[in-house]
Amino acid sequence: MTVTVERGARAVAKHQHAGPRRPRTRDSYALFLLPGFLAFLAVIIVPFLMNTGVSFTEWQGIGSPKWTGLANYRELLDDSEFWASFRHSMFMVVAMAAVPTMIGLVLAAALFDYIAKHFGSKWAAVLRACFYLPQVLPIAVAGIVWSWILAPDNGSLNELLKAIGLSSWQQDWLGDPDLALYSVMGVMVWVQIGFPLVVFMAGLQRVDPLLYEAAELDGAGWWRRFWHITLPQIRPEIYVVLTWCTIAALKVFGAVYVLTKGGPGGATDVPSYFSFSTFFEKTQVGYGAAISTVLTVIILLLSLIGLKLQTRAEDAEEGVRA
Amino acid sequence: MLTARRRVVAAAAVMMSGALLLTSCGDSDSGSGDGKTLKLWHYEGPDSAMGVAWNEAIKEFEAKHPGVKVKFEEKGFDQIQKTAPMILNSSDAPDLMEYNKGNATAGALSKQGLLTDLSAEVTKRGWDKKLSAGVRTTSVYDTNGVMGSGKWYGVPNYAEYTMAFYNKDLFKKYGIAEPKTFDELTSAMDAFVKKGVTPLANAGAEYMAQQYLYQLALSKADRSWVDKYELYKGKTDFHDAAWTYAAQTFADWVKKGYISKKSTSTKAEDAGVSWIQGKAPILFSGSWWYGRFQTEAKFDWDSSLWPGSNLTLGSGGNLWVVPKNAKNKDLAYDFIDITMSKKIQNLLGNKGGVPVAADTSAITDPKSKQLISNFNTLSQKDGLAFYPDWPVTGFYDVLVSETQKLMTGNEKPDDYLSALQQAYDKGAPKQ
Repeated sequence: MTVTVERGARAVAKHQHAGPRRPRTRDSYALFLLPGFLAFLAVIIVPFLMNTGVSFTEWQGIGSPKWTGLANYRELLDDSEFWASFRHSMFMVVAMAAVPTMIGLVLAAALFDYIAKHFGSKWAAVLRACFYLPQVLPIAVAGIVWSWILAPDNGSLNELLKAIGLSSWQQDWLGDPDLALYSVMGVMVWVQIGFPLVVFMAGLQRVDPLLYEAAELDGAGWWRRFWHITLPQIRPEIYVVLTWCTIAALKVFGAVYVLTKGGPGGATDVPSYFSFSTFFEKTQVGYGAAISTVLTVIILLLSLIGLKLQTRAEDAEEGVRA
Repeated sequence: MLTARRRVVAAAAVMMSGALLLTSCGDSDSGSGDGKTLKLWHYEGPDSAMGVAWNEAIKEFEAKHPGVKVKFEEKGFDQIQKTAPMILNSSDAPDLMEYNKGNATAGALSKQGLLTDLSAEVTKRGWDKKLSAGVRTTSVYDTNGVMGSGKWYGVPNYAEYTMAFYNKDLFKKYGIAEPKTFDELTSAMDAFVKKGVTPLANAGAEYMAQQYLYQLALSKADRSWVDKYELYKGKTDFHDAAWTYAAQTFADWVKKGYISKKSTSTKAEDAGVSWIQGKAPILFSGSWWYGRFQTEAKFDWDSSLWPGSNLTLGSGGNLWVVPKNAKNKDLAYDFIDITMSKKIQNLLGNKGGVPVAADTSAITDPKSKQLISNFNTLSQKDGLAFYPDWPVTGFYDVLVSETQKLMTGNEKPDDYLSALQQAYDKGAPKQ
């Protein structure tokens, strides 16, 4: 049996191309796009261009900026703190994109295919809401709560370890430079899981149940059904989640600000926090602007590559089905 | 290629976005400038000594200026710190504002011409005669924005300094004598460690750790050392005897358990609370804790200047500054004058602040008396040595980050001092 799923905007675009061209009507739609375009211009494009302009200057935020050309970018290339912050970003991609996607997939499949079937869809919905809760909490609130949990002296985690006789496992979770980044990563996994879970469960709704029934009749176990049906069927959602979460990981700021302020000794610094502290704390506005410009360009490139890969994979998939 | 219609749309878009931007940056005059409103911003909590005193000053100002309304807005320290240059550059500037003192803050604003030169007013109203030399240092700035000389750009109504707070009950409980000398302090700390108690409350993620370290350096320093470091009167060498002693001793104290390694990531508030909860017998920090300890500490406590040091961290308090674009400057000067009056200064003193022009006999609270007496001792011996993060913009973050590395052992004292030297030389004015 072949299941053909036409996907959102691309499907619409295909239908438009297939129909007669009506340029006049399409031009008149431009008016509807105008408010969004103006907002985009005022809130994104103009500030970005201004920021790029500032990045070519030496400026303390007051007085006249001094034009220094590419000096900030040259300094950036040799700045070990900047590159260390980017290395930490890669860890954040693991914590905020890779791990939550994997856990989210397994959980979504388990809730959809096991919990809903054996305990009822209400229980699946309740559990889904529980997993999604961290996404609803403001990151400042979640961060403060986690900083209490991970506190070295009276933190709940250390108290719990003590209570169950594992005192030797107690750690200064956010104060030990060898541990702090992993602790922040752990918090971010907790924060992120809900997003892929909800997207994947929505994706699973459109998978033809007959596929599962047929596989079950053929004697396929849960894991084989997950591997051969669930995964291929929700591949578009996986691409979307991975792209979205990778971008979120690259620009993560709130959690680092609340939990560690980049410390101890820069062990959890990330580019967005590095840019913020350079810009506002050190008032090296030009240099801070250069960091955020580079960060924006990198995020943009990675997003475009992600989207391109997604499109190519979808095209290849559709080609096979056709 | 753009069609004519698209060109029109694009032009309209550019014009509208321009209009949007202009609107967002434009004048939103609140109607002050009529001599009937004093727009006042400060960031002191309403229960703090300064908050209480200034609320009283507002009442007195309104009583003395019938028909004039004080439009007070309570701001956050960070809020003013990060947005002051933009606000002062606009027509939304208040008439009077509390602002942080030092080269990187009030100095930078004065250099950019964003603050009013108060020199004439200071002489006319006699504020200069009320402020001691040490307190006055942070009020005057030269053309490069360096404090210590030049014109008056701010007036402080209080002072602040650091001291050692002792939990006397804990000293009694463990049979340890309260230290009077530096040697006695280290002996007491040794004794606490032997009893399984970490003697010093500390916060590595904020100012407290760097202040311990700076105090250790100050105990081996003199005024010319401070002037070199803070006022650039000579070359600062971070590998000199004072800094080397400080870094080495601080690292040793962490190793010996005087300071918990676990305090690397804790904040000043956590350290203060741990002292209030009776978990640590000694806390070294500023007079800004004093009023709170008076209210919240439920045990017998005492305070003293850091033993064995002529210098300690401290300065005049934050400044009243009058923005260049203020519309009611005369009202602002009148308000400053009221905060300098005996009545308001005495109130500030009795609420746990350090007044700069109070009537000593009017301070009735014994603990407040002791606070002011210690300050007078310090002031008389010219002992205010400012704060370690002042000389260079952004140095605070460097100090936090590097001191954390020193605490965790990720950096040796020598490398720590080299890192500070590098950041200092990069930011300090070229000699």
